[in-house]
Amino acid sequence: MPAGALPMLILRVLQSGSLHGYALAQRIHILSSEVLAVEEGLLYPTLQKMLVKGWVTAEWGISETNRKVRFYRLTPEGRKHLKAELSDYDRVTQAIQDILRTA
Amino acid sequence: MGEIFRRIRYLINRRRFDAELESDMEFHREMAARAGRSNFGNTLRMREQAREAWGWTWLDRLAQDLSYAARTLAHSPGFTVTAVLVLAIGIGVNVAAFSLFNMVALEPLPVRDPDSLVRLQRRSPEIISGQMPYATAMFYRDHAKTLSGVLTMMGARLSIEDDLEPVKTNFVSANFFRELGATAAYGRLLVAERDEAANAPPVVVLGHEFWQRRFGADPDIVGKVIHLNRRPVTVVGVEPFGFPSLDGQGAEVWLPMTQQPYFFEGSKVLTDVSNGSVRVWGRLARGATASQAEQELLGLTNELRKQYPKDIWKDEYIRSDPGGHLHVMEPEMYKVTEMVGVLTLLILAVTCANLGGLQLARGVAREREMGIRLGLGASAARIFRQLLTESLVLALIGSAAGLLLAWATLKIVLAKTASPVWLSATPDWRVLAFVVAMALMATLLFGFAPALQIARQRQRKTLARQLLVGAQIAASCVLLIVASLLVRAAQHALYTNPGFGYERVVSIDPGLGQHGYTPAAAGEYLGQMQSRLEALPGVTVVSLVKLAPLGHSIAREDTEINGRKASIYPNWVDERYFQAMEIPVLMGRSFLPKEKNAVVVSEALARRQWPGENPLGKKYGENTVVGVAGNAHVNAMNDGDSLEAYYSAQPADMPDMVVLVKSTGAPDGLTPIAKSIVESLNPKLFPEISLLRSGFRKDMEQVELVASTVTLIGLVAVALAGVGILGLVSFSVSQRLKEIAIRMALGATKVQVLAAVLRQFAWPVALGMAAGAGIAAAASGVLRIALYGVSNLDPASYAAAILVLMAIVGLAALLPARRALRMDLAKTLHYD
Repeated sequence: MPAGALPMLILRVLQSGSLHGYALAQRIHILSSEVLAVEEGLLYPTLQKMLVKGWVTAEWGISETNRKVRFYRLTPEGRKHLKAELSDYDRVTQAIQDILRTA
Repeated sequence: MGEIFRRIRYLINRRRFDAELESDMEFHREMAARAGRSNFGNTLRMREQAREAWGWTWLDRLAQDLSYAARTLAHSPGFTVTAVLVLAIGIGVNVAAFSLFNMVALEPLPVRDPDSLVRLQRRSPEIISGQMPYATAMFYRDHAKTLSGVLTMMGARLSIEDDLEPVKTNFVSANFFRELGATAAYGRLLVAERDEAANAPPVVVLGHEFWQRRFGADPDIVGKVIHLNRRPVTVVGVEPFGFPSLDGQGAEVWLPMTQQPYFFEGSKVLTDVSNGSVRVWGRLARGATASQAEQELLGLTNELRKQYPKDIWKDEYIRSDPGGHLHVMEPEMYKVTEMVGVLTLLILAVTCANLGGLQLARGVAREREMGIRLGLGASAARIFRQLLTESLVLALIGSAAGLLLAWATLKIVLAKTASPVWLSATPDWRVLAFVVAMALMATLLFGFAPALQIARQRQRKTLARQLLVGAQIAASCVLLIVASLLVRAAQHALYTNPGFGYERVVSIDPGLGQHGYTPAAAGEYLGQMQSRLEALPGVTVVSLVKLAPLGHSIAREDTEINGRKASIYPNWVDERYFQAMEIPVLMGRSFLPKEKNAVVVSEALARRQWPGENPLGKKYGENTVVGVAGNAHVNAMNDGDSLEAYYSAQPADMPDMVVLVKSTGAPDGLTPIAKSIVESLNPKLFPEISLLRSGFRKDMEQVELVASTVTLIGLVAVALAGVGILGLVSFSVSQRLKEIAIRMALGATKVQVLAAVLRQFAWPVALGMAAGAGIAAAASGVLRIALYGVSNLDPASYAAAILVLMAIVGLAALLPARRALRMDLAKTLHYD
């Protein structure tokens, strides 16, 4: 998947609720009809970067399998950043499509 | 903003954060395993990548490099100890020089608010004076709004009780101690309200060290009466221990300025506007700047000129310099500082070139290690960083050692030169910052290039080594030449005829002007003294001079003659002066008694002013030249370029004259006799009597000190260079043992083998020496003023320096090479 897209996707998915890492990867995989697969090696570094930037925070919770695990939650800064990313993405995609259609 | 906080929080709670990450990934793995997928990839690598997001990897790498550097250095103690020693010397010298400069010019005096203190001096385009009349200082004090206070100080010598030796006295304005924020150790210090009042009783404050020495540190001295200049005066207090005074002028006793006439009967110091007498400091009012004060003072000076048109110079202005440091630094003095700075940096250059060579040599020995690391995937940049860190560690240790060395040296210097008590060798923040800067600079100088070379595994090592050798030789050459010049100057000063005779002359300063003698009275007094002195057995000549040779005061005019700068030292003398001082009159004659408008010029001045012509009869200003005297740098022995002009003394000069007595035998016995003659003529006078010989000795001590210090430094630099070359040559030899063995086995003579081995060093050494000599020749013009007449291109000095350098270099190169020649051929050829 395009490298810069993952943070945006994670933020969007987390908008509907907190998830732990595995669930996040699963959700993305399923929602994209199994087109996009997020590898561990990409997911966690990205999550760490987002933690540094303050777009998400991590809290301890209990998983479905009754195990302690950290759940990632969207922060207000994250929400703001998501909005910005989405509008940028729209603009760029629109522009690309214009060129592809008419060039 | 928040990001930085988060990153710092991570740094502090690293272990917890890392554990949390691990647990996340563990869980992810479990869940994935349940779903049947097991392709995980490299866990460790993933964790590392995740950690990198926090941005602290550079810190981790630095810590790694530091500990690795420490281990490597510990493994080769020989190299480490040598390197640290070399660095300690190179950096230590620089730190010591900077500490001295710091003490003298940067560190503020421990007085109240030193930054607002300014030293005020009279200046005009033609005249420089360090003192101004007391009355003018008071005028400025009363009218200047930019100055919140004015301090005055005048040095003098007074007799105490019946002692033979006078006490060093400072007359100061009564606000002196209060302005500087000093509190008395006992009793009280001078106070304006009490001590400057019209009928104030005479009081004295004792200097702390003097109080300990003369009065046994007795606190009951306060309130007792002592006699200065045979006048009773009450001791009111003792100055605090370590009181810094201003401009380094401490004293044994302190008296209020307004009471000066009490001790010097007839003195007009307080009202006289024509003669400068006091040194003046001002304190800037809050919010005022030095330039504002100068402006205001200029306006006041112009006003003053209307009242006293003859006593204020044309275009006179008052100049201010920062007064809150040990020494009042005027711009001209910075040149000397720069020169010293350059010399010490040269030593640093030799040190670093030395070390750089050593590093390169070690680099060759570590080729295998580097090869393995590169093979395992280290980038060249990583290795470069690590090598640089090694150099940094070495530099830091070396700097610490250098700081210690400098501190110890400074302590010794301070102890030996009887410096003020409050000066301490302990480094302050400026010195520490300088040390760190030096460490960083040294790292760059000696670590950068080798690290670059080794990391890239380039084979240009020979060129680098040659360059380093050349640089060391050049720097050592410059240092040696400078040292050699100074040694020659010292020799010249000590053993060459300075152009005048000082061995058997006594100077007697009766201080007539200080006691308010009129010119007529002074003339009569001096005449009587002369006849009494001439009647003594053994006395050959008695003469009069205004500025005593090798004495306290000097006058100098800096002008231009025919476009070139010239320093002329004027003096006012009577007709017997040249005889007394054994200065030959080469052309014409000396003065006639009290001759008007006559001048005798020194030979050098005559040649400059009227080149190729007969100077007799020519006009010099308002005077006519009646004679030409041999060069005699009586008042500026160190300046071989100085020129003298002697004016015939007039009756008006009499109160300021000093008597010179020349005897046939040793002059020591004259002192008490002269004293009794002076006192019998007028018991109220307290003459200053000194042997010219002692003044000369003191000057010479200084010259010797400077020469020996620089020689020591030069030799250290050469030793360093020698050691460096020794190391490089022996290393080069050890690399080429096999080649040498083969050559010898094939029948090469010893000379041929030596030539082969040393050839690579021949041209760097030659070029280095040439460069060093060239730089020294070009730059040593600055030294002329300190060379006592020796030319700064003196061939003997240059030759001596170069010979010494060649000898040491030759020795350093031949020793290891010779060792190579004595090796066991068979063993070497079979060894692999």
